Amino acid sequence: MPADRSLRSLNDRIYRPVLRLLHEVLGLSPTGVTYISLVLSLAAAVAIALQHLHAGLILMAVSQIFDGLDGGIARMYGLGSPAGQRLDTYADRIGEVAIFAAFAAAGTVSVKLVILALVAIALVTSIEAKSGFDPGFKRFVLYFGLWFPYPTLFTVIYAANTAVYVIGLLIIDCKFQVKMDKLGGDLDTVASRAIALED
Amino acid sequence: MAPAGGRYSTAHAIPPLTGPLLKIFTHILVTTVGVKALQLHGGDVALAYAFGVAIDIDHVLKLPYYLKAVGLEEKQLGYYWRSSLQEPVGFFWIVPLCFFLGTYIPALFYFLHLCLDYSVRFEKMPLYPYSKWVARGWLIDMKDNTKELIVFVTFACLLIALYVR
Repeated sequence: MPADRSLRSLNDRIYRPVLRLLHEVLGLSPTGVTYISLVLSLAAAVAIALQHLHAGLILMAVSQIFDGLDGGIARMYGLGSPAGQRLDTYADRIGEVAIFAAFAAAGTVSVKLVILALVAIALVTSIEAKSGFDPGFKRFVLYFGLWFPYPTLFTVIYAANTAVYVIGLLIIDCKFQVKMDKLGGDLDTVASRAIALED
Repeated sequence: MAPAGGRYSTAHAIPPLTGPLLKIFTHILVTTVGVKALQLHGGDVALAYAFGVAIDIDHVLKLPYYLKAVGLEEKQLGYYWRSSLQEPVGFFWIVPLCFFLGTYIPALFYFLHLCLDYSVRFEKMPLYPYSKWVARGWLIDMKDNTKELIVFVTFACLLIALYVR
């Protein structure tokens, strides 16, 4: 999306000095920054599990800043790759599993709600590449724990991601319908003919 | 509106009897039998009809595509009205929803809905976008109209039996 791209490049301009420091001065690659972000997420999880909630949230915030910086370095220095994007996604999900599990371990929220929220996020991730739709109702919501009860926030994460998943499936269906309509021909076999043309 | 894109041929179109109107009545009938048989009340009844009947709302989503591809002037039988909202892939979000709500009703009535849909032999994509598998449904050697008639009569008899019990 053009708006998304311009916002991203605006972020890159703001972060540019930081990106230079990380890559040119400290010699960090995007992958290295991704790993730092993951380690910070795991540290946040440990802090939350030990019931140091505020410290955990601060570590999580720093982790998310680094999570944004890896993509910035990749774009600025032309180091982006599908493998790097995959690693970023895996690191995000591993960090979320750790942080969400930590909330359950701390007794702040039930294991059932944590599993449901993680399943919903995994479903969104599983189709995001095809749907192009992921508004990001994930760990960001947890900052609102300073004002709202965590069971409510985990319910919001579960419900929002379930809704995003269903909408994502429908977006993919609509894209496929366009392919079928362009193909035309025998209606009785149009789905199998159109799907055979997909990558 | 002038149709755009590739032209569809209707040589093997599904016959009119299995059109959307009859299908929706069969869905309502089967769901009603399920509600009566399980003696559901309150919110469970709403869930049963939501996942047994109202899930068909996704057809509305395909209306703009139908109008663009076919137009208003001709009626195209067998157009692909389906979406993932009524395919087995839907269990991926409906089963967790059942755990969240603490009831099996959505999954059960969704299953009944799918069973009926899969009695019609048009193409379906059970696990799209995860799989390219295209299925036709069950007992495809039997005529769709015959299957639907058997289902309708059977469930109508069941409903009467449940009321006079």
